[in-house]
Amino acid sequence: MSAGLFLAGLSLNGVSVGYGGRPVLSGLDLPAVAPGSVVALLGANGAGKSTLLKAMAGLGGATGRPAGQIVLNGQDLVGMTLEQRVHAVGYLPQALPQGSSLVAYEAVLSAVRAVRPDTPRDHVEASIERVFDTLGLRPLALRRLRELSGGQRQMIGLAQVLVRNPRLLLLDEPTSALDLRWQLTVLETVRRIADAERSICVIAIHDINLALRFCDHVVVLGHGRVLASGPPTHALDPDVLRHAYGIEARVEQCSRGFRLVLADRALPDAGRAATPFQ
Amino acid sequence: MSRAQADTADTGAGAAPLARLYGRFVWSRLAIIGVLVAALLVSVLFDVATGPSPLSVADIVTGLLDRSALPRGQAVILWDLRLPFAAMAVLVGAALGLAGAEMQTVLNNPLASPFTLGVSAAATLGASLVIVMDLSVPGIGATYLIPAGAFVFAVGSVMVIQMLARSFGATTDTVVLFGIAMLFAMNALLWLVQYVASTDALQQMVFWTMGSLGRSTWDKVAVVAAVLGVCLPLSMRKVWAMTALRGGEDQAKSFGIPVETLRLRVLLRVSILAAAAVAFVGTIGFIGLVGPHIARLALGEDHRFYLPGSALAGALLLSLASIASKNLIPGLILPVGIVTALVGIPLFMTLILTQGRKL
Repeated sequence: MSAGLFLAGLSLNGVSVGYGGRPVLSGLDLPAVAPGSVVALLGANGAGKSTLLKAMAGLGGATGRPAGQIVLNGQDLVGMTLEQRVHAVGYLPQALPQGSSLVAYEAVLSAVRAVRPDTPRDHVEASIERVFDTLGLRPLALRRLRELSGGQRQMIGLAQVLVRNPRLLLLDEPTSALDLRWQLTVLETVRRIADAERSICVIAIHDINLALRFCDHVVVLGHGRVLASGPPTHALDPDVLRHAYGIEARVEQCSRGFRLVLADRALPDAGRAATPFQ
Repeated sequence: MSRAQADTADTGAGAAPLARLYGRFVWSRLAIIGVLVAALLVSVLFDVATGPSPLSVADIVTGLLDRSALPRGQAVILWDLRLPFAAMAVLVGAALGLAGAEMQTVLNNPLASPFTLGVSAAATLGASLVIVMDLSVPGIGATYLIPAGAFVFAVGSVMVIQMLARSFGATTDTVVLFGIAMLFAMNALLWLVQYVASTDALQQMVFWTMGSLGRSTWDKVAVVAAVLGVCLPLSMRKVWAMTALRGGEDQAKSFGIPVETLRLRVLLRVSILAAAAVAFVGTIGFIGLVGPHIARLALGEDHRFYLPGSALAGALLLSLASIASKNLIPGLILPVGIVTALVGIPLFMTLILTQGRKL
């Protein structure tokens, strides 16, 4: 294995994040994920999916700087300032505001200008042109964001992240407020971008079956740590699902070859789910 | 992506480069700003022409070009009364409009304005205290002491809100709540001061509180102009960060924008703008709230257009209010603070109702 190959990709080494001294996640390890991968972060509400994404994006805030190493293509993100990190990492928050009177083009333009005010104009225009074409958003360019549907706004949010061409994309529940068609549209787009640009995409997501279908790697968080991690074909089993979500579930193979999770019932004793997973 | 296209094909944007389409769009916005500037000039002209002793447009133009060309009485009316009043209306309106726009963005709340968050009330309390205590400070003339009191209290109130917000790690909503608490606290203290004040002081206070352009002189105009002249360019330097903030705090931070620092600086600037405005003309509500809304409806929220548009809309509103204050009751100039809301609300409602349908 050459040094270049060894360095490329994303890995977590002993990452801990907490609020005011109370750890939310402790000692997370993720073996290197190759460029072009889409990683699904699964776990119950409060398992720390958003917290981990924010820590990776450098949006510590209340949590402060995480302990451990988040290594992207050989560089540790933890030690970087926000300004350094912004060139490598793009982050799409869970809730985009509804009421903005910006037109879509301006939203994407501001995403470039706010980060790099001195980028030459033709360069900026070319990258915006490219991202609107890639995402098929041309017809929306001059529409106000508040006139758009939730799915369309999410695509513009994606455009704001992609226009800077980051090596690592962090998407916090990009599909949670969308109808089925837009859920597929957004995830198909993410898949396509990761394949084409060889960027790594980490998605916090609630829909396990969408995760199994679109992602190369699944990480299940629970009780402050990684409960399971691996390719979609292996990472999930009924045991993991019981501990992560407190549900009784089956993992079956569908006619197209994907794994499907069928949730049968919520386990009555929620307290059981909180006991440490061995 | 055929799905997204299918969903939106009706809006049709052709194969022309987006930059060119957007360029045309920018020109239409510049045209709107041009219309606002033209409307403001016309309004200022009317403002200068209106009053107990009318001046014709020809007189005004002659007098502006050459003061000695007018009869002495008219020259004094034009240069020492009407022009400073009109200029003060424009500057104070612009300062309040800009302050409101910036405040609404950094607090992510369309109800934020220097008036609704207690900055104006704090300024009024500061001025009232100076009046009621009959303060005198060597080196500061009496005409500047009241504004100075207003100024110190306005900036102080923002500092207190900021300190509270910082020490409790507050969200923008909490900052807004602190501001509203500040408004009530300042009003309560103001009533207390009014309750214990002498009749003379009370009368002076009430008059001051109403907001009047009648105290304008050229040197006061110069102070407000200087404050605006410093603050507006500083605001314009941060337009991209402010525009990005419309996408939410987390997204702005992920763009590498130090949001807390930006908010602190903007709020300090807002307090200075609001204090300067309130200090010389008294309490004028409404403009800091509505100027930004008019600009948002007309120009959207790209802060390159939104901030100057908001300042222009504020200036236009106060200038129109100044004209109305001289015409509503013949022979009497009403305090402009009374008129602002009365004139502004019908205009505002019309805009909301007509533009609302388009949105």
